[in-house]
Amino acid sequence: MAAEPKLAPIRKGLLEFLVLKIVGAQSVYVPDILRRLADTEFATQEGTLYPLLSKLRREDLVSYQWQESGAGPPRKYYHLTDTGRAQLAALDEYWNRINRTIAAIGNEPCNASP
Amino acid sequence: MQRISVTASLNGMTIQFEQAAFDRLEAYLAEARRALAGNPDQAEILTDLEQAIAEQCQRRMRLDAVRVTLRELEPALAEIGSVEDSEAAAPPPSPDAVPRRLEQVSEGALLGGVCQGVARYFRLDVTLVRVIALLLLLLSAGIVILIYAGMMLLLPYATPEAGAPPVRRIPARCRELVLALRTRLDAATS
Repeated sequence: MAAEPKLAPIRKGLLEFLVLKIVGAQSVYVPDILRRLADTEFATQEGTLYPLLSKLRREDLVSYQWQESGAGPPRKYYHLTDTGRAQLAALDEYWNRINRTIAAIGNEPCNASP
Repeated sequence: MQRISVTASLNGMTIQFEQAAFDRLEAYLAEARRALAGNPDQAEILTDLEQAIAEQCQRRMRLDAVRVTLRELEPALAEIGSVEDSEAAAPPPSPDAVPRRLEQVSEGALLGGVCQGVARYFRLDVTLVRVIALLLLLLSAGIVILIYAGMMLLLPYATPEAGAPPVRRIPARCRELVLALRTRLDAATS
């Protein structure tokens, strides 16, 4: 995990996007999400994830279903709602645009005015 | 090592805790509850967390273990992490985060409220501060009176806290005098 404090807000803001991506790929329960993020810059913990998921659920972006597990109590499996899917597509598109902007800016000569 | 055990029900799973571990668990949940104050899903998130704690503890317990001890609970809580509400609602600043100001506190004061202000600033018992002030009064041949008067004149007045005791007659009179004096000083210097 990058320790640079200036990058923390970026990571924080993108976490929601990444969680939507993970939930969008397949129906998952919280340990799956944590495991998927564990080796990335976005490694997070239940203490952060549960409040985030409940917010996404209130915004009607994700929903969950109870599923029986082999051992222990049933688990909540999260999936995207239609609104969530649309939001994810919009975020994806926005992210690509930002990426192109970041890659382009500063790389052209300064006096190359159109 | 404590041997008392407490039975806790974490989201329907009944688990035995050693007293120390139980206290730690309670403290964690209380902190989580505070961090989620105002969140409409507070109860549900707490249930989710309870279940995560129960699963984490059980995974860490030896097969023959009966009770959860701090040895299992601490790493479990460390892995779950402290609760961070993703809504912007930042938790209220802890008393340590509020910048401390030396002020005089009229509410409940005996004279001007300087001792109360000093006590609040240094987080001391006000009676202790008053006793020290009296002792200094005897030992310092009156210099403390000058210091007290100077502080009364200079220190800002604290905004009364909720549930503060009423201002007695003498501090109220002191305050009137000080404020009148300050206005006059202001007028004289400008």
